[in-house]
Amino acid sequence: MTTLLSGRDAYKDELAKLAETEQRIICLEADLGGKNHPFQIRHPKRFVNLGIAELAGVDIAAGLAEAGYVPFISTFAAFAALRASESVKLSMGYMAKNVKLVAPYGGVSGGWFGTTHHALEDIAVIQSFQNIRIACPHGEEETRRVIREAAASSEPYYIRLSRNDAFDSMPRSSDISCKDLLVEEREKDFRARLCLISVGEQATELCKTLTEEYEDVAHAHACYIDSQSLKAYVEPLKALADRFLVVEEHRATGGTASYLALLMPEHSVYSHDSGEQWPTYGGTHAEVLADLGFGLEPLREQIVSLLGGPNGI
Amino acid sequence: MEQSISVFREQEFAIPLPTDLADLAREARKLIIDMAATPTGCHIGGSLSAIDLLVTALAKYGHDEHSTVILSKGHAAAALYAALYVHGKLPSNPAESYGRQGSLYTGHPNHKLPGIPFATGSLGHGVAYAAGWALAQQLQGTRGLGIVIGGDGELQEGLIWETAQIVQARSLSNFIYIVDCNGGQNDGYVEDISPIRNLRERFEAFGFAVREIDGHRHDAIFNALTPDSEKPLAVLALTVKGKGVAALEGNPDAHYAKIPANLAKRWKVTLS
Repeated sequence: MTTLLSGRDAYKDELAKLAETEQRIICLEADLGGKNHPFQIRHPKRFVNLGIAELAGVDIAAGLAEAGYVPFISTFAAFAALRASESVKLSMGYMAKNVKLVAPYGGVSGGWFGTTHHALEDIAVIQSFQNIRIACPHGEEETRRVIREAAASSEPYYIRLSRNDAFDSMPRSSDISCKDLLVEEREKDFRARLCLISVGEQATELCKTLTEEYEDVAHAHACYIDSQSLKAYVEPLKALADRFLVVEEHRATGGTASYLALLMPEHSVYSHDSGEQWPTYGGTHAEVLADLGFGLEPLREQIVSLLGGPNGI
Repeated sequence: MEQSISVFREQEFAIPLPTDLADLAREARKLIIDMAATPTGCHIGGSLSAIDLLVTALAKYGHDEHSTVILSKGHAAAALYAALYVHGKLPSNPAESYGRQGSLYTGHPNHKLPGIPFATGSLGHGVAYAAGWALAQQLQGTRGLGIVIGGDGELQEGLIWETAQIVQARSLSNFIYIVDCNGGQNDGYVEDISPIRNLRERFEAFGFAVREIDGHRHDAIFNALTPDSEKPLAVLALTVKGKGVAALEGNPDAHYAKIPANLAKRWKVTLS
């Protein structure tokens, strides 16, 4: 039986595989790729650990891209989106260099590592730069597919991953891009009283669980959440419901719910997010999320409330 | 200040010194002055200090598809536009529309223009970009170079040293970092604000070969821009802010200027 890989391990493995046939792929790390990196083992000449240098790393990746390489550069989300923010803005946003920035430790997946290693603001930052594809894949298979899509594209990518959580991705036909909204199956012409929109791994798992509990609640999983992708989701979403609850491990400010609300002013868009507190305490990924009011019970309560309370269900 | 330099790779880069560099630089200086006489004005002091470096670097490597010449001190955009124009790489005279609505000749280099692959202006980024280009050439096994021109004030940016660390770690002997040492920065003299002491020793400690030259002598610049056989190269070019215009030379207040057309005319006539 094959062991299910976490998103970040799936990334390394998939990229190493892709590089067998795609000689332009080069893998850069800022000293957080870990030992026995599969890409380093299989393609040592195209693997570069730049050292602890995120800001320079993104610009260097831009130089490599200009010379024809397809550079994938990885560091934790907090350092990728915040420390290297200006390089991302200029090289990837403004100049649209073909750089793929892969960011594990998204949200509070670092758990007990603390706030320096958490990224609850990264999507807002990257989203505001324009031009950059943003993907938050769920599970091993979807992560692999996003990596393949990124490698085949000439667009800059920000790919937000978690730490060590490993999940089965939701089933998706091989001929449908991860850029398409993935809707959990319901009866034909089903119109929900509320549609959950999940972004990221923990959120998607929560939505899968709760959709089973409420027969008039739909679930749409959004793998890509850049502004271009969100615009493309508007019509499919309108066909599902009039009211939406975005579940996303991120601040409300600059999150997916806020942008969707602007895109669908005639609809109601709510947010289940990581709140306004700093993640001060230790614990597992799920425990830190729970401290921030993000989890199964608070989400269930929010859904019940939006459906009109216990009597409304 | 000028010192003997390694000529180990001279044969490999045996490009003859063009005879028209002085004329090209003079024409470029006139364009810079014209850009200072536009409604926006320009960063004239640092443009005039860097122009000989740019004109010469482009003359030596501007036609090599495997090499890139980047201006990291992007506020000297007028110099970059002027140098590219006198080398025939731009479609129109930048002074005719510099800073105007609808013009690509913005106050910091615009990557939408030919010959400018990377938009600079936020200091330090061009150095890292050029290092990335050099790394790509090293990996591809070409003879291409990553050449970047930065300022001495720019050395206050942490990104420079983050990049220098990577450059020495990867042994990028095809990386040439020219520092335009004009001694000035936006708010005054580098020496008064945050001095960059022991620059030679600093670069040597980072594993660079170092050459110190007169940054206005074209033959010295041309010869210095030959890569070292083993190490990345720092060319410390001693320059004068505002070089060529007596009223500006060495004056830190010459960082930015907007001048009337009649003054521009006089300055162009009296270019030293």
